[in-house]
Amino acid sequence: MTIKKGKFVIEGLENVQINIGKVIEEGVDGQIEGPTPKPEITSLRNWDYRILDRYNPVYTPTSDICDYCTYGKCDLTGNKEGACGIDLEGHTARQALMTSIMGAACHSAHGRHLLHYLIKRYGEDHPINVGPSNLKAPLTETIMGIQPETIGDFLPVLAYVEEQLTQLTAAANTGQEGSARDFESKALHAGMLDLLGMEVADIIQISCMGMPKAEEDTAMAEIGMGILDPTKPVVVCVGHNIAAPAYILDYMDENALFDKIEIAGLCCTAHDMTRYNKTAKIIGSMSKELKYIRSGIPDVLVTDEQCVRADILREASELHIPVIATNEKITYGLPDRSGDNVDDIVNDLASGKEKGVLMLDLEKVGELVPKLAMKVSPIRKAKGITALPDEGEFAKLVAKCTKCQQCTFDCPQGLPIADAMEAAANGDLSQLEVLHDKCVGCGRCDYSCPVKIPVLNVIEKGAQRVIREEKGKVRIGRGQIGDPEIREEGRNLVLGTTPGVIAIVGCGNYPDGTKDVHDVVEEMLKRSYIIISSGCAAMDIGMYKDDEGKTLYEKYPGRFIKGNLLNTGSCVSNAHIAATTIKVASIFAGRKTKGNWEEIADYVMNRIGAVGLAWGAYSQKAFAIATGCNRLGIPVVAGPHGTKYRRAFIGKPYKKDDWNVLDARDGSTVNVEPAPEHLMITAETFDEMMPLLAKLCIRPSDNSLGRAIKLTHYIELSEKYMNKMPDDWHVYVRSEADLPVAKREHLLKTLETEHGWKIDWDRKKIIAGPMRKVDVSFQPTNVPRLCKEVSK
Amino acid sequence: MTADAAVKTVDTTRRAVPFDTANIPGPKMAKPMMPQVAGKMIAKAKRPLLIVGSEVHDKDVLERVITLGKTGIQIAAVGNAYKSLGDKGLDVHYINMHALSYYICDPEWQGLDGKGGYDLVTFLGITYYYASQAISALKHFSKTKVLSIDKYYHPNADMSFGNLKKDIFIAALDEIIAELQKE
Ligand code: SF4
Ligand code: SF4
Repeated sequence: MTIKKGKFVIEGLENVQINIGKVIEEGVDGQIEGPTPKPEITSLRNWDYRILDRYNPVYTPTSDICDYCTYGKCDLTGNKEGACGIDLEGHTARQALMTSIMGAACHSAHGRHLLHYLIKRYGEDHPINVGPSNLKAPLTETIMGIQPETIGDFLPVLAYVEEQLTQLTAAANTGQEGSARDFESKALHAGMLDLLGMEVADIIQISCMGMPKAEEDTAMAEIGMGILDPTKPVVVCVGHNIAAPAYILDYMDENALFDKIEIAGLCCTAHDMTRYNKTAKIIGSMSKELKYIRSGIPDVLVTDEQCVRADILREASELHIPVIATNEKITYGLPDRSGDNVDDIVNDLASGKEKGVLMLDLEKVGELVPKLAMKVSPIRKAKGITALPDEGEFAKLVAKCTKCQQCTFDCPQGLPIADAMEAAANGDLSQLEVLHDKCVGCGRCDYSCPVKIPVLNVIEKGAQRVIREEKGKVRIGRGQIGDPEIREEGRNLVLGTTPGVIAIVGCGNYPDGTKDVHDVVEEMLKRSYIIISSGCAAMDIGMYKDDEGKTLYEKYPGRFIKGNLLNTGSCVSNAHIAATTIKVASIFAGRKTKGNWEEIADYVMNRIGAVGLAWGAYSQKAFAIATGCNRLGIPVVAGPHGTKYRRAFIGKPYKKDDWNVLDARDGSTVNVEPAPEHLMITAETFDEMMPLLAKLCIRPSDNSLGRAIKLTHYIELSEKYMNKMPDDWHVYVRSEADLPVAKREHLLKTLETEHGWKIDWDRKKIIAGPMRKVDVSFQPTNVPRLCKEVSK
Repeated sequence: MTADAAVKTVDTTRRAVPFDTANIPGPKMAKPMMPQVAGKMIAKAKRPLLIVGSEVHDKDVLERVITLGKTGIQIAAVGNAYKSLGDKGLDVHYINMHALSYYICDPEWQGLDGKGGYDLVTFLGITYYYASQAISALKHFSKTKVLSIDKYYHPNADMSFGNLKKDIFIAALDEIIAELQKE
């Protein structure tokens, strides 16, 4: 008998109704294939310990005290214990856990909000459609052991994430977990949950909202602070959740308003707006938020959730920009007008009676925002409202600077503001223009100036020439990588003949300006790395043009093959980047996925040369994503601000035994090169980061051709950016075939003279020196149960 | 710069407040330090290490770091410092500072040259907040003494200069050099 979903009444028992919900079918598709479907907090602890034993947590506390509970404040300096018994190491690990939980909660709550809304609109049975893929939800399959078919199938997935996050949060209470190592295992668990929550959020919106489905050639969206026509009414949506902006875009579409109103997004909402309707535009990342508001150009601000500045209402109302809050998570104390008539609300906001409203009826948001923009815009434009000083005021302000440097002390970037003020006073604006790119738009300097110079506004005024030119292009987020692309490229990745996948992710808290992110991408594309990006970093890549006026997205195609540049989409589209490695393990190597996290992560760590670069990461979300990637065996490099996350995972190449792996063919132990050397680390500068990225793409499984290619880039990038051969290049040489072809002879000589290796010069062969030989059938693993036979 | 040259004494203990206003770690903060003290401590250390970062490229600072290196002190060139220091005939090694700050805490680590760990590390010319975080690791999890002779007050060090204007900073480095050249 086949049991089907539905409502049934049994004959003779008319008062009884039987409801059958989701039917889980036995069989290949439904089969759990690994040991850990729906892993509990400790289910993957052994895997975490394997990671932590090699990649030790490194703590750089920002505070020496703990004030979590009323026993405290406790002084934990020098790793002392506080009143509850926790030491600074444990406390800092607990902060890592809490940071991961916050990030994971953000993304999965975003997913939950979308799922409620999309189920209401399209029904639970709406099918998942992510493009040409059998492996539609790689993270869901690997973690949950299920293959979702409809958006309703994600209900138990989010329920699982939420339950686990509650359990993890409980572990952080005073008097609970006390071991740093187990806090880290739990943080890794939270990171994994974060990846899962993101996957749900993005798959359901791709499936229901007509977003691109694994398309390599999506349209280009305009990006930059200079792209909007300020003479028209301007709507700016800020945050991450497409639900509300989608209604605005629909209303504008239905009423043919795209010629009359400019609409753009700030932060990841912008990506998803362009994925939903390619007429929308992107202003930029969160670091542009305050700068753009201060310009006075927006006539209406619409907020949803995540990466929305806490002071947005105050800033906006000073410039008479009404704020429409559309999500329960950010309500700003605004009156809830969800039940009111739209025209009444428009009148109240246009007259200034209200500074903003909370509007949770999204259909009404769609009507309210364009109407409001049309009404408010002429009033605002007639008054010429802006926070930026006019020419005369600007000259007075820069002349007023006493060079006390208080602003520099308060600036998180330590920017040399006083020097730029002095130059501007002498008619040279170039230094303010440089500051505009390096400034993360935090506004802290405004508070510090003792002579009340509104520093950020002065920088922005001084940089008007470059701001007007800020017009770039971003290839609209494509969503996942389709199975056919993986089939084509998987082999090159695992053998190393594609030198690596570099995921450019994270936020805009760059240490030395936004251009760095463009420059790293350009360099690595020229070297045939695959660049996959998402979120704010994906926007910033498209901000700069070459001499012919082309952005990188216009110069490099978007297929998952070497030398291509892909944008998966918004912050939650990060999930597809991690999931790509699962797809390679499954599609290329035939690894089972369902409920099989450890085996997949082990495969990824040993064989797939993928590395994340979160050069401007600032948020808890970015930390959670990185931690989730780490549990999946993907190393991540952050910019110098990343040390303020307080925890990294750093390997010790000098400890030989840390680099023992097993050969899955017979369980024998093989001492391998430190690859990947670290799981989470920072670099101080761009120059330092470049060769580090190349090094972290090296894997024990590389074949000789692949290793030679990877070493070529590692050596060349080190020579180009650090003026030196890397000290450890020889560690990665297993035979002469691993050496970069163009330099083979020279490198053999160096191995002989500087490292004492024995070379047969007649045959140009290495006779002695390397730590191990190349073995094309070597199957490196860190998991004993995956070995065919455990060696004695 | 030689020991014979006239070296003026400067006060490096003023403005000993965290360079980033909010970087107040806790009850234990670095003791403000005069240059001669720094010079003497480095000179007396059995195995000192000078850690130099990406702010070394300034001509005046670079000149001093090279002279310091010529006194024989081993240099860890972190960030991109190696670019300016690599070809100057010094005992200089590139290393990532995040990793270095951890390795120094490991009693098994044999140093940049395999000859053993360090009893005194001195920070100079590094992005402020980045160095502050690295020094935090050493403050809590190592026994190594930490000095900061940078132009910033580093609260996490054991001893540090205050926040210095450039001329004072350079003069202070000259004093340290003179002190080392005496020994
Ligand atoms: S707004 Fe810019 S210049 Fe001002 S403190 Fe923030 S980063 Fe520094
Ligand atoms: S705080 Fe004000 S007066 Fe002082 S340097 Fe900065 S802008 Fe000039």
